[in-house]
Amino acid sequence: CLIVSGCSSSQNNNGSGKSESKDSRVIHDEEGKTTVSGTPKRVVVLELSFLDAVHNLGITPVGIADDNKKDMIKKLVGSSIDYTSVGTRSEPNLEVISSLKPDLIIADAERHKNIYKQLKKIAPTIELKSREATYDETIDSFTTIAKALNKEDEGKEKLAEHKKVINDLKAELPKDENRNIVLGVARADSFQLHTSSSYDGEIFKMLGFTHAVKSDNAYQEVSLEQLSKIDPDILFISANEGKTIVDEWKTNPLWKNLKAVKNGQVYDADRDTWTRFRGIKSSETSAKDVLKKVYNK
Amino acid sequence: MKKTTRKQKRPLLAILILAVILIVLSVISIGIGALYISPDAVVTNLLGLDHSFEFIIQQYRLPRIILAILAGAGLAAAGAILQGVIRNPLASPDVVGISKGSGLAAMAVILIFPESPVYVLPFSAFAGAAIIAVLLLMIARKKSIQPSSLALSGIALGAVCHAGMQYMMVKFPGDVNAALIWLTGSLWGRNWEEVKLLAPWLLILFPIVCILIPKLDLMSLGDELAQGLGENANRLRFILIFTAVALAGSCVAVVGSIGFIGLLAPHIARRLTGEKAKYLLPASALIGAIILLIADTLGRGIMPPVEIPAGILTAVIGAPYFLYLLKFEARKQ
Repeated sequence: CLIVSGCSSSQNNNGSGKSESKDSRVIHDEEGKTTVSGTPKRVVVLELSFLDAVHNLGITPVGIADDNKKDMIKKLVGSSIDYTSVGTRSEPNLEVISSLKPDLIIADAERHKNIYKQLKKIAPTIELKSREATYDETIDSFTTIAKALNKEDEGKEKLAEHKKVINDLKAELPKDENRNIVLGVARADSFQLHTSSSYDGEIFKMLGFTHAVKSDNAYQEVSLEQLSKIDPDILFISANEGKTIVDEWKTNPLWKNLKAVKNGQVYDADRDTWTRFRGIKSSETSAKDVLKKVYNK
Repeated sequence: MKKTTRKQKRPLLAILILAVILIVLSVISIGIGALYISPDAVVTNLLGLDHSFEFIIQQYRLPRIILAILAGAGLAAAGAILQGVIRNPLASPDVVGISKGSGLAAMAVILIFPESPVYVLPFSAFAGAAIIAVLLLMIARKKSIQPSSLALSGIALGAVCHAGMQYMMVKFPGDVNAALIWLTGSLWGRNWEEVKLLAPWLLILFPIVCILIPKLDLMSLGDELAQGLGENANRLRFILIFTAVALAGSCVAVVGSIGFIGLLAPHIARRLTGEKAKYLLPASALIGAIILLIADTLGRGIMPPVEIPAGILTAVIGAPYFLYLLKFEARKQ
């Protein structure tokens, strides 16, 4: 009996092995396993970090959830590309996605979980972390995307290049740098510090900076008084469009007393590049931006 | 009251016309979205003579239209019942705290447990509505409670839930955007699964509502008269509120807390059919379905591929119309 069952199970394995074509690959994502065959050409991406990855691997997606901001996409990829907007990242338009007849969809594991089944009906869909992803997870996602696109070797090359870029930038940081650093997002009525475990916090750490706010929670909302208690040496501010709370703070003596303000160490950080794109290319741009602004390099 | 009867309203005709409007709108709505489908193509696709738009119609548009009709009708019927029971024209699922209760529960799921599986959200939203309902009914069970204090209790419970939501938004700033979209109410991404979730509830609840219709007329006469006619007013109120909450809670669980329909639809219906519940309730349900269908269709069609949540449009259409109604009522008096 044992022999028979053993035999039949091995036969099953052979059978499933044969039924998959030579170039089909099983991709492990947040939802489990997805089989992708051939080399996808018509790719739809529903998050910006996926656009960064796909574009980095030499493919222009046919559809992008661009929140209707063509300028933002242009900023991310560095040039105008031809694609169809599939609506917002929070509510991408399924009708448009299906009309594009994609052969691969890359979605966010959290944001798009309730349309996952519907996306799967359109095309093979992989769900990866983007919104809440750490830097390491972004790198993992990049590797997964490279595999799904049948460009594993190219992906490895690009990652090696990326590591070299980061290492070179790291070497430019003065060895005696002991000031701490933090980035805050300024909105109309709130100010939120991105801690050491946030995406940009990890970039600071990677470059060799000491982070001013060490925490396991990625974000921490602070008042001006709390900020003056933390009193970072270098402060990057990523401001939303329009007037923000920082504009109000600027007239406050507490603000003028901040070390970063007194020493002229307050810098602007582009909101899109620093906190929204979260891809390999944008992390390089952000890292270069720090060195350029803090050391005029 | 006398005036309205003298005007010779023709409630049956009004209901018939509303039903025809709803059917016509449904066909038009199938054609509207990111890809425009002409009415004749819609018909040929529905009849199976043409398959060019089959996928989009079958997978996306039909389930949404059915859901809009079901949820719109459910919310409006709940509003009409509540207005009758509480004898307050401002009563609606939003006002008595039911929507807020489910909003609080849904927000907790979205913000505190973002990793939870998809099916958790509608059930917790329904549970939130149910908890508020139980609290409300515990207050209502006390003998000789006035309907107005019932409304006030609902408002108070709603305020507590609202405070809870505000707290969560500050404390867990994760995906506030998704939480806000849910609170507004939207039919985006809904498909047959949600229809399957909501339809059985309504299949049970709508017949119950039909049975209760004569009782609703009794309640609107006031507790004493109802009691004089042999009804236990408190028990009846209990049953009616329970039904309204179940209706509103199941709809809100699936489409989010879409506002104004429960408030507005009965008011429009009253102008067409008068106060009698046997006309007022079906007319309210039809109007609720029409409003939500229009809101969702516009949300799909105004600026594709971006969708505008249906709840925003019901508020945009609803709020000015309600102000107009109030003015109209004031003039009448």
